[in-house]
Amino acid sequence: MGNNGKEALMRKHSSALAKRTEPVERSITPVADIYETADAFVVKLDIPGATKDSISVSVEPGYLSAKGLVGPHHTEDANLLLGEIGRRSYFREFNLTEGINHKEVEAQFEDGVLTIRLPKTDEMKLKEIPIK
Amino acid sequence: MLIRFDHPRMFDNLLQDFVVGDFTSAVKSFPAIDVAEHENEFVLLAEMPGVKKEDLKLTVENNALTLSGMRKPYEIPQDARVLLNEVRVREFSRSIEFPSDVEVDKIAAELQNGLLRVVLPKAERARVKRIEIQ
Repeated sequence: MGNNGKEALMRKHSSALAKRTEPVERSITPVADIYETADAFVVKLDIPGATKDSISVSVEPGYLSAKGLVGPHHTEDANLLLGEIGRRSYFREFNLTEGINHKEVEAQFEDGVLTIRLPKTDEMKLKEIPIK
Repeated sequence: MLIRFDHPRMFDNLLQDFVVGDFTSAVKSFPAIDVAEHENEFVLLAEMPGVKKEDLKLTVENNALTLSGMRKPYEIPQDARVLLNEVRVREFSRSIEFPSDVEVDKIAAELQNGLLRVVLPKAERARVKRIEIQ
């Protein structure tokens, strides 16, 4: 498949029997980026097409999990000429280190990316030591 | 990083096609797309997590819709330490040719929650017509 090559869609018979419908739910591990700052860990997960309401994040000492449901995207009368997305069920879990203030964890969802901010406890925060 | 993606366009394509084609689910040079045909329109969906509206370009020519753009890296604080980096930040492009004429002036697109939705009404002459029997 070339980057500049056009992909021509083929039309199959769109009778009720041959109609292509949306693929069934697939489980997906969302791709993740994680970084650490002086006072928090930040986890970012790709969950395109989800909504705020379809995502849940849970955190407990030592453990973080996030899940999201996406789709169905099409109405019943749709005949799918290309179906790569389908219904998806996203799930990912992480073991957390000690020193996370799990009561202050914040999550937000924007542009299909879930961002979870895990603040460090005061003891874990990077401290500068004044030189006397 | 092993491969840089700031080469001239053609070489970039070669790299994408032969070097990083479809190795893992994290490496995706083309957005995943759905195209649904309805009686009077086509609906195209494309997954675009982390892509801003201003970084996405849609063009249409001869019934072919081209999506191209770039997923920019996250803005992270300067002192941050990256612990895991699976997200591929790079250009993407994909062209889809529709099987019948579309009404170019009436194409509508919206990008929401990382999903692009384009509605392409069929041209009048391409619509299925019911013929009344006299």
